[in-house]
Amino acid sequence: MKITKQAQQDARQLFRTCLVNGLLDENRVRQVIALLGEKKPRGYVAILTRLHRLVKLELARRTVRVENAVETSPAQVAAIQASLTKAYGPGLSFSYWINPALLGGVRIQVGSDLYDGSVKTRLEKLEQSF
Amino acid sequence: MEQLGIRWIELLAQTISFSLVLFVLWKLAYKPVFTMLEARKAKIADGIANADRIKAQLAQTEADRQKVLAEAGDLANKIVADARAAAARVTEQEAQKAIAGAEQIIAKAREAAAQERTATLTALKREVGRLVVQTTMTVTGKVLTADDQRRLTEETQSKIG
Repeated sequence: MKITKQAQQDARQLFRTCLVNGLLDENRVRQVIALLGEKKPRGYVAILTRLHRLVKLELARRTVRVENAVETSPAQVAAIQASLTKAYGPGLSFSYWINPALLGGVRIQVGSDLYDGSVKTRLEKLEQSF
Repeated sequence: MEQLGIRWIELLAQTISFSLVLFVLWKLAYKPVFTMLEARKAKIADGIANADRIKAQLAQTEADRQKVLAEAGDLANKIVADARAAAARVTEQEAQKAIAGAEQIIAKAREAAAQERTATLTALKREVGRLVVQTTMTVTGKVLTADDQRRLTEETQSKIG
């Protein structure tokens, strides 16, 4: 679907209205979508498509996936959350996974940023260096 | 005189007739003969001179011929020497080319051998590395203690921000 510049601009404007203190407010998103569905302005499908993409990107940007070779202790969880909140700001969505394939260490992905301290990755880098 | 048998009149007549004969002979016989003999003598002298001149010319021609032959011989010797020198140069150049070609082939062979050796060493290194990493992966999960896991997590955490 071709999205016009006007639709992109409208979607960005609506997306900004969904932010509260720089964080995405789900209720506002729902309200905006309901309002668009109700009023159906010109090119509303394109606006919705673009808004959906912006919301998806924002959610991905604020989503943290923490993979650990062993179960992450509560103290470690608290420390990781504190560090990431300090670096990326509040409003992060955390998910924790146990991945024995990592062998050791932790792998943290925040949006497109990756902090990989796993033993598996280190060994792979070592293997590539040969 | 008469006693001697000389008679003056006959003597005078004979003298006159002898003089007449001598005069006639001188005018009509001796003088042309002498003239002819002189001419022939001059002609013979000319012939001898010509023969000498021709002989001298022949000698000069022979000398010139010998000189030309000598020069031709020298020139031929020079040409042969030049040809030999050129042939030697060409032979030397060809030999140098052959040597250069051989050296190039040897260099290429050495380079190929070095590349092959490097490739073999790299492949061996990779294989050893793969085996080491594989072995390490197999045993790492078993040998890492809780403290090690905590330290690794803290290490990653320290990289944030």
